[in-house]
Amino acid sequence: MHQRKISLWVSLLVLLGLLAGCAAPVDTAAVATEPAAEEAAPAGPFEPMSMAAENCDYGGLFKAIEAVDELTVKFTLCQPDPAFPAKVAFSSFAINDADYLTATGGGGELIEKPNGTGPYKLVEWLRGDQIIFERNENYWGEKAIPQTLVFRWSAESAQRLVELQAGTVDGIDNPGPDDFATIEGDSTLQLALRKGTNIFYLGMNNSFPPFDNERVRQAFGMAIDRQRLVDNFYPPGSSVASQFMPPSIFGYSDGQEWYAYDPAQARQILEEEGVLPGFKTTITYRDVVRGYLPNPGIVAQDIQAQLAEIGVEAEIVVMESGAFLDAADRGELDGIHLLGWGADYPDATNFLDFHFGPGASAQFGEGFQDIWDALNEGATKSDPAERQPWYDQANELIKQHVPMIPIAHGGNGAAFKADVQGAYASDIGAEQFRLMTPGDRDTFVWLQNGEPAGLYCADETDGEALRACEQIMESLLAYEPGSGDVVAGLASTWSANPELTEWVFTLREGVTFHNGATLDANDVVLSYGVQWDASHPLHVGRDGSFSYFPGLFGGFLNAPAE
Amino acid sequence: MSTSAATASVEPILKTRPRGLWRTALRRLFQRRSALIGMAILLALILVAALAPTLATHDPTQSLIGVEEVTKRQPPCIHLFGCPHDQPQHFFGLDGNVRDLYSRILFGARLSLLVGIVSVGFAIVIGSLLGATSGYLGGWTDHLLMGLMDIMLAFPSLILAIGIVTVLGPGLINTLLAIGIVSIPVYARIMRASVLSIKQQDYVTADRSIGVPTRRILFGNILPNALTPLVVQGTLGIAVSILDAAALSFLGLGAQPPTPEWGSMIGQERNQVFTAPHLILFPGLALILTVLAFNLLGDGLRDALDVRQRA
Repeated sequence: MHQRKISLWVSLLVLLGLLAGCAAPVDTAAVATEPAAEEAAPAGPFEPMSMAAENCDYGGLFKAIEAVDELTVKFTLCQPDPAFPAKVAFSSFAINDADYLTATGGGGELIEKPNGTGPYKLVEWLRGDQIIFERNENYWGEKAIPQTLVFRWSAESAQRLVELQAGTVDGIDNPGPDDFATIEGDSTLQLALRKGTNIFYLGMNNSFPPFDNERVRQAFGMAIDRQRLVDNFYPPGSSVASQFMPPSIFGYSDGQEWYAYDPAQARQILEEEGVLPGFKTTITYRDVVRGYLPNPGIVAQDIQAQLAEIGVEAEIVVMESGAFLDAADRGELDGIHLLGWGADYPDATNFLDFHFGPGASAQFGEGFQDIWDALNEGATKSDPAERQPWYDQANELIKQHVPMIPIAHGGNGAAFKADVQGAYASDIGAEQFRLMTPGDRDTFVWLQNGEPAGLYCADETDGEALRACEQIMESLLAYEPGSGDVVAGLASTWSANPELTEWVFTLREGVTFHNGATLDANDVVLSYGVQWDASHPLHVGRDGSFSYFPGLFGGFLNAPAE
Repeated sequence: MSTSAATASVEPILKTRPRGLWRTALRRLFQRRSALIGMAILLALILVAALAPTLATHDPTQSLIGVEEVTKRQPPCIHLFGCPHDQPQHFFGLDGNVRDLYSRILFGARLSLLVGIVSVGFAIVIGSLLGATSGYLGGWTDHLLMGLMDIMLAFPSLILAIGIVTVLGPGLINTLLAIGIVSIPVYARIMRASVLSIKQQDYVTADRSIGVPTRRILFGNILPNALTPLVVQGTLGIAVSILDAAALSFLGLGAQPPTPEWGSMIGQERNQVFTAPHLILFPGLALILTVLAFNLLGDGLRDALDVRQRA
């Protein structure tokens, strides 16, 4: 909401500027993309590119991105951001070749034929069947072990397991929770677990009665037996959630507890508030298996049965995945909805700001000013010890306002053939297959849940697409495969000023893209710039939503008025 | 009436009383072993459906978490077959939501029979009305109605049903309606064909010549005589309807949870086909038996009622 008002102001200013400055195309919120990408041919001398916002009133985090010299990029921020390196390492902000980006027009070929710097390059994407990658022999780092990498997909966990047992694939994602024991008992297979760096929650939208009543939401918070759900329907390694933040991620409040399960009191409150008897609602979910919700249908039915015990009659509604997410974001779900979130990078901002900050979607209805204030304080401090109290406060406020009921941190994993050396499952779902040795074979076949929608991951949010992008594309920084710590990527070193508002990245020398182009600072400026500036001619993408950019960096420059 | 006098005078000549079409058919039906088996299964199913609350050991929608010492998807435990007596007895095991599968399957029988009979009943009523009107009136009405039926027949029935449910919204009633609508053309076509041939019979011409109103000819003479093929098709149609409803529920479009429906029971546990096969096996067997019963009975009825075969 907040953000939309600001973008309206920006567009008003734009309009005024246009009126005042007559017919000449005024570059209002200041985009200077000079020189044009085509002119920056490798033959000529390096002409640094830069983009800047006139001021920070547009509401986003970025003030300027500039190429200082051929291998140095400087980001100037409007506010300090301690999580900046973690965000920059995320695969939505992978670096594209500026010439290729321009040639594809920011969409089209870019989505089908990504051109990155990564350890694998795309050979062929057979839509509906498989994606074939081959080792990048010119990779700047340690070259990939498997010569060929194949991605396949199947939505059915039983089929994935059968293929693994039959030996037609080397690794599968998300085996069914009930298959964990089978895999562990099979000497030809191995199981790799992920820590539950995710959250499964029941969301409620406070713009629909009776969920506009805080006491009612609190009553529902007491009405769900979370322990029972985790004990019965979650695989080993899962835990009951006491708050929105998973325990292993910064921003978790040690010692905080959720409301104790008390159906009698929940019922009493609902009766006092006039909701019961006779309250009917819906439980909406998407029938998609994710690490945080391995058994969607069964969990939905158990919640339905639990609500029936306190006298609430709930109808189960299953929606198509994309439609469900859209409806949730637009704030159209008037009952209870089952959704979750997995970590993209290990910081509170990825969880709390994205869902409860001022820039959050309408998923839970109107935001809460006191939560916004706490999150804002926490996000602008650099010392973790100083930040933590603000997140403790935010978590406590979330418990008080109950925009959602935290249920579980779902343990999940991947399974591999026993002869795959170096097999692991990344906590954030970013497995790097270049590190795995598939026995004596030179091809590694990976079977995941679904097909990527596109391979230009600036405009993708689905983990199935991000994982594929991560084999081909690289960001300025990277997450270490095991720990998830931020390490050097395309930038070999990086530094910030003491206020954490200016970040300078030094690129590796001699890195080449799969099409042979050499990486330079202008590639970085343009890769970020096309996402940042919503009016940029290359701001196209697959559907143009570029969700992660405003989610992590506050907002687009020149965002269209809503 | 004068006819009764005529019959009375003929009676002594015949050794036995003339059997009606239905009596003959019934006798011929009972002579067929396959039809008998079909009827026996069907009778058992009807009994199970009617007595479900008595026969069931548990509430079909109640989760047994915290009620008994059981875990989800536990295989069947029958004390008679050597399951330890300290474990609670579950004939068909437990499902993913820790509910008694045996009780769910019993209650599922109610639903499946209901879906089959109601949707086919609906289709027969609407279909035969349309078919009879079309056949009797002929002309542009016939062209229009049969053109419509041809369009509907051009779609694969399940796809058309999915389309209708998508528009109306998922749920049991809408499933009934969708399957009913999809089955209409078959009955309309059969009815029209019967009416067309019966219309030419002498007794209809006789009726018309003495000025019997159209409505009475249609409902009094033509419809009862056109019923035979409808009964056969209807019985076979119930089997198809039950399968279609199960398919819709499998896809999550039919009966909504926690309603015990065989198709949705299979659909929900489809990924457990290897880890908990009983959850697929028992609802699957129940479906097979039901469909088999209606198919056997329908086949028997067709043979029994087939006039040409008898001649």
